Amino acid sequence: MYTILRIVIGSILLVSGLGKLLSPYQNFLYVIQAYQLLPSWGEVLTAQIFPWIELIVGVFLLIGLWTWWSLRGALILFGIFVVVVGQALLRRLPLESCGCFGEWIHLKPQTVIVLDSLSILLTILLLRGLSQTKKFSLDSYFD
Amino acid sequence: MIVLVLVGLIVGGKVFLAHPKAEINLQEARAKGNPQARVKIVEYIDFQCPACAYGVKFLKTFFDKHPNDVYIQVRYFPLTNMHHHAMISALYSECAARQGKFWALDDLMIPQQQQWAQLISPEPVFKAMATQVGMDIGQLNNCLVSDDARKVINNEKSVGQTLGIVSTPTYFINNKMVVGVKSLDDALKAYFP
Repeated sequence: MYTILRIVIGSILLVSGLGKLLSPYQNFLYVIQAYQLLPSWGEVLTAQIFPWIELIVGVFLLIGLWTWWSLRGALILFGIFVVVVGQALLRRLPLESCGCFGEWIHLKPQTVIVLDSLSILLTILLLRGLSQTKKFSLDSYFD
Repeated sequence: MIVLVLVGLIVGGKVFLAHPKAEINLQEARAKGNPQARVKIVEYIDFQCPACAYGVKFLKTFFDKHPNDVYIQVRYFPLTNMHHHAMISALYSECAARQGKFWALDDLMIPQQQQWAQLISPEPVFKAMATQVGMDIGQLNNCLVSDDARKVINNEKSVGQTLGIVSTPTYFINNKMVVGVKSLDDALKAYFP
């Protein structure tokens, strides 16, 4: 159960990162600009770095390496998504899609808030049951 | 070891994921400005996309300020899954280009986008615009029913997709890709501080 959840959370981040990385970063930059939250330099930096962080945390969760740190990372990432999308909804920014998965999957901001909140709860659950989360992982192999 | 693998993954990924660049064709009818200009812009647009309309207005103002320093070329990227009139508006533009009236029609079509976008069929409006800019309506009708104009549009969209374009407006300024008007403005400020 915990192992499957870990793989699900890892896969979400992996797909999210890969979906953005397979397209030029300028496309994700355009998505970030729609949220009107960062200065120009911050938008460019985020567009270039953020998908790699998602991909790396996703891969680490999938293989179960540095699981405690990866879960913390995932928690921060999902928290950022909720805050960023939430502020856009509160400000009634005209967003048709959240842009979270590049061009692969289009989700409405409201749907993303629900999914990310659920992911936060699941990640907390995984952190609480860390010993079970580490089953069938590289961590358990090295431990 | 893990850090090395990650660095290798990122560097390899950057190389593997690199996209080709948009080569400018100086013979195009949908171009304006000085072909020798130091700033060459290829503009991929959907005529029904509101952000594209904003971009066209932005570039028009910019071009009026720097007519000798900029060369602009328009290419089609109709988002037919989002905009019902994306293809027909592109077809009228392509047919106008074949009569040397692309920019004249563009000057009418873009500012009125909000009006014709709401119509079930914008063709009567487009025909009236074509007449207004002095297009030969017989030639226009032949062009609209021919496969040739549609092929040009679809080919340009396919090429755009291989360049990594997923949304409009997307620009290539001296081959460097920028998406959206904010990035366009930022990029142009580097050339014209």
